[in-house]
Amino acid sequence: MTNDLHHLAAAYALDALDESERREFEAHYPSCAICSAEVSDYRETAALLAESATTSPPADLKDRLMAEIGSTRQIAPILPDRVVDLAERKRRNAPRQRVLALAAAAVVAVVGFLGGLQVARSGDDLDDVLVAVDAETLPLEGTAGNARVVWSPSEDRAVLIASDLSDPGTGRAYELWLIDAGGPNATGLFRPDADGTVRIQLDLDGRSPAAWGITNEPDTGSDQPTGEILLIGEIA
Amino acid sequence: MDRVNPLSRLKAVGARAEPASEADVLAGLLQRAGRGDQAAFGELYDGVSALVYGIVLKVVRDPSQAEEIAQEVFVEIWRLAPRYDANRGSVKSWIATVAHRRAVDRVRAEQSHRDRNDVVGRQLERDHDSVSELVLDRLDRTRVLNALDILTQDQRAAVELAYFGGHTYREVAALLDTAEGTVKGRIRDGLIKLRDHLGVNQ
Repeated sequence: MTNDLHHLAAAYALDALDESERREFEAHYPSCAICSAEVSDYRETAALLAESATTSPPADLKDRLMAEIGSTRQIAPILPDRVVDLAERKRRNAPRQRVLALAAAAVVAVVGFLGGLQVARSGDDLDDVLVAVDAETLPLEGTAGNARVVWSPSEDRAVLIASDLSDPGTGRAYELWLIDAGGPNATGLFRPDADGTVRIQLDLDGRSPAAWGITNEPDTGSDQPTGEILLIGEIA
Repeated sequence: MDRVNPLSRLKAVGARAEPASEADVLAGLLQRAGRGDQAAFGELYDGVSALVYGIVLKVVRDPSQAEEIAQEVFVEIWRLAPRYDANRGSVKSWIATVAHRRAVDRVRAEQSHRDRNDVVGRQLERDHDSVSELVLDRLDRTRVLNALDILTQDQRAAVELAYFGGHTYREVAALLDTAEGTVKGRIRDGLIKLRDHLGVNQ
């Protein structure tokens, strides 16, 4: 299987895979040194093919484009730089005052977010985090589904609730990272249910997050993020 | 040819494929654009707009649609500029990737829409001859086209139908009435040959 996937790098670089193979390959290649080198390699070659087709666009395209980007927000930079920034700021704001959420407000927020998802039974461990007096909740933003982390320092635990996550691929899983002054810490490895939902509880181990992020990793887990950041939430 | 270290080859290709100064200028412009510098983005546009519009037009064929997609591509580049990672390849390669992907996705979305609505007419729109003609009528882009000449006819057809035609390798196999595995191999062998050729001839 892996061998088959290796042979898809060229077709992938030409966008010549169908939807399901593309997804499968995209789940594989970032963690495969040979495939990722081949993909960049073939993409450079493809760019040269593209250069054989250069055609000047109509002159007014630039004006319309420049007007549009003036009102288009740029995406946040990727994790490595981001981690440094966040770690830096965390250090500066070490004794930062934590915003306390009222238990009732947390419950309302969580239930509101859950929507159609199954709400935890009362007395459930998850509930202890969700209704903790110091529970904080943070939506993660990005390109893959919806996710929200609720955590409680007093409980020393976090709950990740997510929906609309796609299958991470064969041999792959999602990993949740708690980003603090020391950088990203692997906090939990998970695969969504068949309907794309996730509801798991994780230990904070006494750490205090500056941000949360989710990447796609080998299902054995990684010490440091290797995949692209898919979802991230930064604590204001 | 050595297949031991594709990464070192990539660097050779990247370094020789275009003057270092141009690549550096584009990288600098993109970096500034990533910090919100619109003037830098405008200059970047001047440098790569013909590349983007050209490849999109090649795939979608329709000039007004190509213009619309090219605009989307550049907005996407603007949006994603802060995430550009030079370690993953040159600016041109990244931008061409975004542009080609966007064009192909558009063509396929429309194709599947047509397929759903028109069960009888499930014919692939572009046939091999017309794609080859389109490619051949641009013989003035000598470097790459000379490079295409080094491919066998079969490899060339597979690479062109996939890249310029915007087809999946399975569609290419159907168009050429050839086994899918064979087409996959031709695309791969063709690209390796092109990569090596373009890498050593600059």
